[in-house]
Amino acid sequence: MLNESVVKTSSFHSVIGESSVIAPNSEKKTRNIVSDLLLTALIDAFSILVIFLLMSFSSTGELLMMGKNMELPKASADMLDRNPVVKLDSGKLFLEDKEVTADGLVQALLDLRKNFQESRPGEEFPAILTVQADRRAKYEQLSGIVQASAHAGFADIKFAVVMK
Amino acid sequence: MRKRHKHLEFEINLIPAIDLLSVCICFLLLTAVWLHVGALNVKQAVGGQPASETAKKPTVWAQINAQGDVMLDVRDARVPAKLAKAKISGKDGKLDLEGIKNIAMQLKTAEPSLTTVLIQPQAATVYEDIIDVMDQFKKQGLIDLGVSPL
Repeated sequence: MLNESVVKTSSFHSVIGESSVIAPNSEKKTRNIVSDLLLTALIDAFSILVIFLLMSFSSTGELLMMGKNMELPKASADMLDRNPVVKLDSGKLFLEDKEVTADGLVQALLDLRKNFQESRPGEEFPAILTVQADRRAKYEQLSGIVQASAHAGFADIKFAVVMK
Repeated sequence: MRKRHKHLEFEINLIPAIDLLSVCICFLLLTAVWLHVGALNVKQAVGGQPASETAKKPTVWAQINAQGDVMLDVRDARVPAKLAKAKISGKDGKLDLEGIKNIAMQLKTAEPSLTTVLIQPQAATVYEDIIDVMDQFKKQGLIDLGVSPL
């Protein structure tokens, strides 16, 4: 029976041939070096792992790149949509990963709006800005973003947070 | 004639199943999102419309200072005087989230049409405190949140 084992048909077959089956009470006195693996338990564990990973898999929403020193605040929040992202990282401002100065942020946001209207004529500009900042940042650093978004006509701001 | 016995015992070759599951696990491990990032929606507290043209609706103005104190000023709403001007003092420089939650709950009970909260942080106010205050109000049904620039 064991000769018909799955181990025999596995990759072990070609290397160690007949010794890949366990036969402790057989008349054959040769010492076996490979035991028959109990694969069912392994497949059970793998299946549970796959189900868990599938549940934590997300194909919707927006992904944000975070710096090493950046920690987002925690709050119960809604799904993050795709919008222009202003990032405050180590005192520097980034609009869509391009560094901008605090004074140049309004112009950069206006350019963004202009580019959108040129590339998609007739379509309404969403005018929503996502703000990504470290939880320990002071409001004096963020206030500039709020003001700039108001000046550039971005009525809504979405603060990126880690969902509780 | 010799009756042939059908061989009922057989073993399934599990190696392809293990291969498939291993590939699945590797792919899912690489693509899984461990940190779910969401968004807290906030509107501009200071708009371009003149105050005289703006329809008056019950609003909570919440000032937050760097010591974790929250001063509430409820306008255009019929709420008890104790709630209309409330101060929730911070504990060891941190926000008293439980106190904010209780006040927000009492405000919502006293004035169910109250949905707007405008946050007025100071320059030294920590970003996390602003988010925590907004989160507490949002949980109590005050969903129209705004933040004013300095």
